[in-house]
Amino acid sequence: MTTTALPTTRRRPVISRRPLGATVGVQVFLVLLTLAFLSPVVWALVSAFKPAASIISAPLAFDPSALTLENYTRMFADVPIGRGFMNTAVVLVIKGSVTLFFAPLAAYGFAKYDFPFKNLLFGTVLITLMLPTIVLIIPLLLEMKALGWVNTYQALILPGAVDAFAVFWMRQVIAAVPDELVDAARVDGCSEIGIFTRIVLPVIRPAMAGLAVLTVMNIYNDFVWPVVVASSSRMATLQVVLSTLAQNITGNRIDADYATVTGELLAAASIALIPLLVIFILLQRHFINGILAGSVKG
Amino acid sequence: MTATVAPPAPIVVEPTPHRGGKSRLRRAGAPYLFILPFLAMFAAFGVYPMIFTLRLSFTSWRGSGAAEWVGWGNYTYLLQGEAFWASMANSAVLWLLIVPIQLTIGLVVAVLLNSAKVRLRSFYRVAFLVPFVTPLVAVAQIWTVVFDQRFGAVNTALNALGLPDIGWLTTSTWAKPTLALLFLWKTTGFIVIILLSGLQSIDASVYEAASLDGASRVRQLWSITLPLVRRTLLFALVLQTLAVFQMFAEPFVVTQGGPYGSTTTAGLYLYNHITRADLGTGAANSFLLVIFVMALSLLFVRLLRSEDK
Amino acid sequence: MPHPDTTLLPAFRAGTRGSRALAGVVSLSVVAALAACGPSITTGEDDEAPQPAETVASDPNVLQAPSEESPSGEITIWDRSGDLFNVFDAVIDDFNAKYPDIVVNHEAVDIDAKLQNALITGTEVPDGVFLDDAKVAGFADYLWDLSGVLDPYLADIAPQKVDVASIDGAVYGVPFDLDPGLLYYNATALEDADIDATQIETYDDLLEVARQYKEARPDSGPIHLEQSAFLGQLQLEMYASQLGTSMADADGELRLDSPEYEQILTFLDTVRAEDLGTRAEYLSPTDIETLESGEQVLYPWAIWFSFATQQLLPETAGDWRAMPLPAWDAGGPRSGAMGGSSFVLPKEGESSELAWLFYEFLMFDEAGYTAVWRPNDVYPNGLNTSIPSYLPAMDGPALFGPVDALGGQALWAVAVEAGKEIPGGAPIPPWWAGAVDYLGNDLQRMLDGDLTPAEVLAQSTQDIQANLVDRQ
Repeated sequence: MTTTALPTTRRRPVISRRPLGATVGVQVFLVLLTLAFLSPVVWALVSAFKPAASIISAPLAFDPSALTLENYTRMFADVPIGRGFMNTAVVLVIKGSVTLFFAPLAAYGFAKYDFPFKNLLFGTVLITLMLPTIVLIIPLLLEMKALGWVNTYQALILPGAVDAFAVFWMRQVIAAVPDELVDAARVDGCSEIGIFTRIVLPVIRPAMAGLAVLTVMNIYNDFVWPVVVASSSRMATLQVVLSTLAQNITGNRIDADYATVTGELLAAASIALIPLLVIFILLQRHFINGILAGSVKG
Repeated sequence: MTATVAPPAPIVVEPTPHRGGKSRLRRAGAPYLFILPFLAMFAAFGVYPMIFTLRLSFTSWRGSGAAEWVGWGNYTYLLQGEAFWASMANSAVLWLLIVPIQLTIGLVVAVLLNSAKVRLRSFYRVAFLVPFVTPLVAVAQIWTVVFDQRFGAVNTALNALGLPDIGWLTTSTWAKPTLALLFLWKTTGFIVIILLSGLQSIDASVYEAASLDGASRVRQLWSITLPLVRRTLLFALVLQTLAVFQMFAEPFVVTQGGPYGSTTTAGLYLYNHITRADLGTGAANSFLLVIFVMALSLLFVRLLRSEDK
Repeated sequence: MPHPDTTLLPAFRAGTRGSRALAGVVSLSVVAALAACGPSITTGEDDEAPQPAETVASDPNVLQAPSEESPSGEITIWDRSGDLFNVFDAVIDDFNAKYPDIVVNHEAVDIDAKLQNALITGTEVPDGVFLDDAKVAGFADYLWDLSGVLDPYLADIAPQKVDVASIDGAVYGVPFDLDPGLLYYNATALEDADIDATQIETYDDLLEVARQYKEARPDSGPIHLEQSAFLGQLQLEMYASQLGTSMADADGELRLDSPEYEQILTFLDTVRAEDLGTRAEYLSPTDIETLESGEQVLYPWAIWFSFATQQLLPETAGDWRAMPLPAWDAGGPRSGAMGGSSFVLPKEGESSELAWLFYEFLMFDEAGYTAVWRPNDVYPNGLNTSIPSYLPAMDGPALFGPVDALGGQALWAVAVEAGKEIPGGAPIPPWWAGAVDYLGNDLQRMLDGDLTPAEVLAQSTQDIQANLVDRQ
C-alpha cells in the first residue's frame, strides 16, 4: 500500500470518512462514559446545596425545596478561600509560563541536536521522573531552608518550574517533527532560536495545548509540596486550604461534625473546580484551532 | 521516507557570505543554550535532592543530629521484610486493575473523539477531564462518602435493587478495586488527551488512501492506527506504570493504606517510613522502587518496540 | 512518514564509552561536593565514647528559666485548630496581665502534618507546641529537657503524665490534661431495661449488664468496639494503664505478651463473640446513629467523649452519665489514661524560655488554669473534656460546672476521683504511633474474628520487635 503525500491538506478531510460518531452504539457508549465520569462530580456539586446532615444520611435524595446555601455561607466564613485562590493564581501564571516556554525549548535541544553527553543528561532526567517525589521532599525542604525560601513564592514556583515530564513529553513530540523542516529553515537563514519559535512551536501546537492543559492541572492541584513548604495562612494555595479543611473532619471542632465539614468541603471544592473548568474550556478553542490551522505533514 | 539527522559538523550550505563562521558557532552552541534553563533548575532542584537521597539511603538518619552509616542495612531490611514485598504486590495488583483497562478505554475514546463531529468532541473532552481537574482532597471525600458502607450512595442504590451492603473501603477484598476505580476515574481523561495528541500526528492521508483501497473502519483501526499510535501508547504505558507504583496521595487520603495494609502501595509504604522519621529506610525504599520501575519500563520498551515504517 | 532515529529511552542505548567514564568522574565529584550539605555521617562508633557527667545546670539540653523581672519578647505557639485553640486563645489576655511584655503569636496549625518537617529542617520552628502524649517521645531529640524548670512542680503532677513525657530521667513535655477513662452509659435506655449501671464494678459486671440489655433489646450491640486502628490501640492502652502496664516498659522492652494484656484482649474478644458490641469508628456516622438509637449504650472511653454528648447527640442529650471504669479485678484501679497531651518546646525555637513562662502560667498558676478550664463561648459551663494534671488544681474547686448533656452531672468530681486512681508506670515509647500498623491492625483483625488474643499478642510482639524496637 503506497501513500502519496498531500502537502496541501489544510483541513482534516472529515467528509471523506464515514463519520464514526454517527453510529448509535458509539454515541451510547460515549454518553454512558460521560455519565460515569461526571456523576460523582455532579453529585458533589448538587450535594453542596443540600443541608449538611442530609448529605450523609440521604445521599441520593434530592429535595428541591430543601436546597440551601448554608454550606457556602459557612465555608466563606470559616475558610480563607480567597487567599488560596490568589496564591494559586500567582504560582500558576509564573510557573506555567516558565514551563511552557523553557520545557519545549529544552526538548528541542534534546530532540534535534546531537551533542556530547546528550544521552547521559537525558537519562538522568528519566531517572528523576521515576523517583517517587515524596522522598525528595525532605532534601528539597532543607534546601529551601538554606536559601531562606520557606513560605515564599519562590519555593512554590522554582522547584519543578521546568518540569522533567514536560521536557520528556515534548521531546517525544518534537522528535516526530520532520527534520527537513528544520534543515530547510536553516538553509533559509533562520537563526537557531528562530527555527524554534517560527517553525517548531507552531507545528507542535496541539501537543503544546495538551501540555498547557496538563501543566495548569498539575500546578492547580499540587498539594503535597505546597503543604510542606508554604502552608502559612498567608501563603496557602487553594489545595492547602482544602486539605486543612478536610483535616477538620475528624478534628475536635465546634459545630464541626462530620456532616457540616463535609458540606463545607463540597462547597469549597465546587468553587475550586469552576475556574479550572473555565480555563479548560477556553483552552479547548486553542486545541481545535491548532488542529484546523493544519499541521504540515510531509 | 525516512530522514536522517544531519550531523552538526560540516555545514554545506552557507546562505549568505557574512554569516559564515558565526552560523556554525551558533549552531554548535545552540543546544546548550536551549537546555541550560532546564538543566540549571534540574540540577538545583532535581539532581541535588536525588543525590542527597542516595547518600541518605545508606544511613539511619532520623532527621536530627548525625547520620549513622549502615551500608546496605536498609536495603537488606527492606528486601528481607514482608512489608516491602507486600506493598509491591499491592501496587502490582492495582496496576493490573488499572492500566490495561485504562489504556484500552483511553484508546477507544481517543479514536472516537478523533473522528467525531467537532462540537460534541470538545464537550466530551471537557467532560472526561473533569475528574482530573477536581482536587484530590475533594475527590477523596466524595469517594469516602459515596462508598460508605452504611450511608453511601452506592450501597443505597444496591439496597434499592435488593442487594446487600458491600464494605467498599472497609474490607481488604474491596478496598483495592475501589481505589483502582478512583484512580481510573481520575486519570483516564488525561490518558485520552495524550493518546489524542498522538493520534493527531497521524496523517489523514493515510486513512484516506486506506478508505480508497476499501479497508473497513475496524480494519483501519487495527492495521493503521494501532501500529502508528504504538509509540504514544508505549509512552502512556510507561507513564501510568510510574504513576501507579508511585501512587501515594490517593491511598493516603482515602484509605490511609488500610484496611490492614491492603491499600498500602509502594509509594505509601515509602511515605510511612518518613512519618516515622526513618528517613534512611525511606530513601533506600525509593531507590529500590526506581530500579524496579526502570526495569519494568525497559521491559515494555523491548516488548513493544517495533520497526517504524 | 518521517521517523527520526530516536527511541523512547535513549539512555539505555549504548552511550559512548567516553561519556560513561566521564559520567563516573562527574558524579563522584558532585557527591563529594555535596558531602558538605546534609547531615554529617558517622560510623556509629563515636557514640560509644563516654560522656562526662553533666549537671542539670550545665547540660545544654536542659532549659533554663529566664531570670529577668519582666521578661520581654515574642513567642510563637502552635495549637491544633478547633475548640481547644479558641480556649487557649482566650487565656492569652490573662497571661499578659502577668507578663505584659511578652507578645504571643498564637497559630492554628495542622501539627501532625507540619511539626516534623519544621523540626527536621529547622524552618519556622515554633516556641511551643501542643502535642499528643503518644507522640512526645518520638520527638525527644528535638525538644528541650524540662526537668530543670519543672522540678518544683514534678511532685505535684499526676504520675502518669510525668511518665509518658519522660525518657531516662529527662522530661520533654509540660503536662497539660489528664484524660481519665470513664464509663459513659445511657442511663435512660438502661433504666428502661431495668438495669442499674451504677452497680457495675468489674468488667465481668459490664459483660453481665450488656447481656441483660441485649436480652431486652435483641438488635443492640451495647458495648462500643472501636474500629479505627489508632484509636483502638489508644483505648487498649487505656485498659492496660488501669493494670499499670503498657506496650513497653521504661527501658523500651516490649511487655505485650503478659497476663494483663491477655485478660484485656479476652474481654474484648468475648464482647465480639457474644455479639455484645457495636463496631464503629469513634463518632463516625454509624457510631452516632447507634448511640442515638439506643443500640449502643456503654462507652468506655476517655473523658473527652463528653464532647460528643454535648455537640453530636442531640436526641439523647441528658440521657448520658459518666462513672468510673469498671475494674479488672475486684478492688482494682477504676481508671486508666487515654490520650492526653502536653506542651513541648523545640530546642530550635527562638524564645523557648519565654514559651516556658507561658505554659508555666497556663498549668501551674491558679489564674492560668482557672482561665483555661473556665466557661467560654465554646463551653458555656467550662471546658469539660479533660481535667488538669496538676494536683493542687485537681484538689481545688471544680473548674467546670455540671454538664447539662449529662443530666447536670458533676463530671468534675467523677473525673478527678478517677484521675487519682490511675496508676503510673506506663511510659510511651517513641515508636508508639508506628505500632498501630501492627498492634492496632492485629487488634482489629481480632475484632473481625480472624485472630485469637494469643495470636494478636504473639504476632504484634514479633512484628514490633523486628520492625520498630530493633531499628531504633
